[in-house]
Amino acid sequence: MVGELAGDYGNILLMFGFAVVAVGPALIISRMVSPRRRSNPVKFLPMECGQVPKGEGRTHFMMQYYAYILMFVVFDVMAIFLYAWGGALLELPRSATLPLIAFLGIMFAAMAFALHQSRRRNIW
Amino acid sequence: MSVIAPNFRLSSFIRSILDNLFWIIVLVTLAGIPAVQIVLFYIEMPVIDGELLTPFLALTWLADPSRVLPIVKALMATDFFRIAVFPGFGLAALLAAGTIFVERKMLAKLQLRVGPFYCGKVEGILQLAGDGLKLISKEIIIPAKADKPIFWLAPVAFVGTAAAFVSLIPVAPGGWVVADVELGVLAVFAVIGFFPIITVLSAWSANSKFPFIGGIRALHQMISFEIPLILSLLGVVMLAGTLNLTGIVESQGSFPWIVFLPVGAVVFFICILAELERIPFDLPEAESEIVAGWLTEFSGMMYGLVQLGTYLKLYAFAAIFTVMFLAGWHGPMIVPPFPEEIITDGIVLGPVTATIPGLPLFDQAMLNGTIWFVLKTVAVIFFILLPRGVFPRIRIDMLLSLGWYKLIGLSFINIFIALGLLYAGVLGPGGVI
Repeated sequence: MVGELAGDYGNILLMFGFAVVAVGPALIISRMVSPRRRSNPVKFLPMECGQVPKGEGRTHFMMQYYAYILMFVVFDVMAIFLYAWGGALLELPRSATLPLIAFLGIMFAAMAFALHQSRRRNIW
Repeated sequence: MSVIAPNFRLSSFIRSILDNLFWIIVLVTLAGIPAVQIVLFYIEMPVIDGELLTPFLALTWLADPSRVLPIVKALMATDFFRIAVFPGFGLAALLAAGTIFVERKMLAKLQLRVGPFYCGKVEGILQLAGDGLKLISKEIIIPAKADKPIFWLAPVAFVGTAAAFVSLIPVAPGGWVVADVELGVLAVFAVIGFFPIITVLSAWSANSKFPFIGGIRALHQMISFEIPLILSLLGVVMLAGTLNLTGIVESQGSFPWIVFLPVGAVVFFICILAELERIPFDLPEAESEIVAGWLTEFSGMMYGLVQLGTYLKLYAFAAIFTVMFLAGWHGPMIVPPFPEEIITDGIVLGPVTATIPGLPLFDQAMLNGTIWFVLKTVAVIFFILLPRGVFPRIRIDMLLSLGWYKLIGLSFINIFIALGLLYAGVLGPGGVI
């Protein structure tokens, strides 16, 4: 049973593998037919609009919207949990919907609070 | 006068071709033929007309036109055909190529230009092939301090993930889908979840500032719009009562869900635009601010592969919209039935009668379903392309507040619309409709 379920998903991996095998040779052929000149080290520098690059490439970058990433971690999982209910809704009794409405209410209130916090620039 | 190839010599050119031929022959004999034989040993060959098909018989029958069709049919029933050609990679790549051409021409017409014009005489129809040849012959430059394995892997993984996304889409009735999984909708979300990871990995590995900024923007944008995307499809799943994509298409036999859930459809469409990084949400590739965003350091064929992956992804998202809201393959029957007398009597041409076993090759419902599916998907793709000629790019704070405030609120409203329809007795088991 478990094996059958996993077998269905195997085709997704096969498709991934097929795409990799089908387009991988494009890179290899390109490497074979295209010119490779190592005469000028400048061309291997990172692109900075014609200037000589300054500092490191992987810099410390100020993410002003970090709060949204934190919220994603929480609410994405909650949104996925709703599918367990949504997929079986037609078989459930109607009374089972009330706790879910409460769950949605908690989720909505928590999201509103988090959004309110994410607007406060001084704490980020 | 400039010379294109100053050191060109015909003799060395011929010698290089002969060298390549020699190595190809050596490799095919030593590795290729044994590999084919090993593969043939493990492949289960079909039984046709009560005879087990061996490679020898297959080659013999291929020379006999009246016996080719059973072999073709047996081939079409295999998983490999599904993955490589029809509902899988071939169809997606074909539609992706068409999308690229149509996008360039249509955008040009919208902006009163002509677009690709010379390559291929007729309206630049061969422009894409020309671009492909150009990209494949360009040098791949990798930044000096880049993380090379990840940097090489990113475009390939991007195309692979997009193809894995394509594999989930049911195209025609009768099981024409690569992976018919029970939890299809969740599988779609799982595959979508890989795109930001690949983007950020490639951006980080390039060791350059513009890709890094573009990658961070892509991360913010993709994950912000993933929640409204997930919530907007919940209404459809609630009404259809299944997570299987084929089941969702079959539940729309009499009407598409867009009739009842237009709010969810609009939210999902806007999320598609954001997930695909298309205008007005193309911040990760904002060419006037950060060169090309996370694609800045990709050159030559690596850039080509990323573009291919992007358009495969576009097709897959449009197809998911079709499956979820536009009733997939359902539509009026427009394909005429296959003429019976050809099956029974064969094709009569004067004195010659050719009886062809194995006809018809495709069944009527499958052809009809494919035509409707492709028509609807192309229409959705058209509406995805259209904003590019019309809208400006928006700021990242506008983008995030749109995603987090408006779209999530609208998708909650959509859930309650679905619940209301269900509990008011309009839809669902025992409903009015």
